[in-house]
Amino acid sequence: MDFSRFNQAEQAQIAAMIEHKQMKDFLRLYSNLVQRCFDDCANDFTTKTLTGKEGECVNKCADKFLKHSERVGSRFAELSENMQAPGSQ
Amino acid sequence: MVNPQNIAMAEQELESVTDLFNRIAESCHTKCISTKYTQSDLTQGEAVCIDRCVSKFFEVNVKIGEKMQKMGQN
Repeated sequence: MDFSRFNQAEQAQIAAMIEHKQMKDFLRLYSNLVQRCFDDCANDFTTKTLTGKEGECVNKCADKFLKHSERVGSRFAELSENMQAPGSQ
Repeated sequence: MVNPQNIAMAEQELESVTDLFNRIAESCHTKCISTKYTQSDLTQGEAVCIDRCVSKFFEVNVKIGEKMQKMGQN
């Protein structure tokens, strides 16, 4: 995404907007990851604390999702610089 | 001088790219990552699947875009 067509003042405001969005996105990632790892890992309700296995599952779930997300990000960046996605100019 | 329309446009563009990314990440996780979580790292198979999944998603994106454009012309 190239915002160099905007003037200085606009770019400053856009930078602030991006920072705000990144924070929102981070919170959403957190919430999403908790949901996912809970749904996938916490299935033994014979105890009220996570079992050892469940705890390990949660760690791997989170690690894996973050690595996955990173890889998707790399491919996404490569592919979107080759094409104009519809909806953007 | 700040043109609020420009800011709104930039925001919309950012929103749409972020949304696209999140949807691809979600879909490709469902399609490629086993929920048994046997290890922390991506397996070779998962890594390759992700690469192909993202690529295909973009292709579908383009195909649908072309179809919609044809629809708009009729």
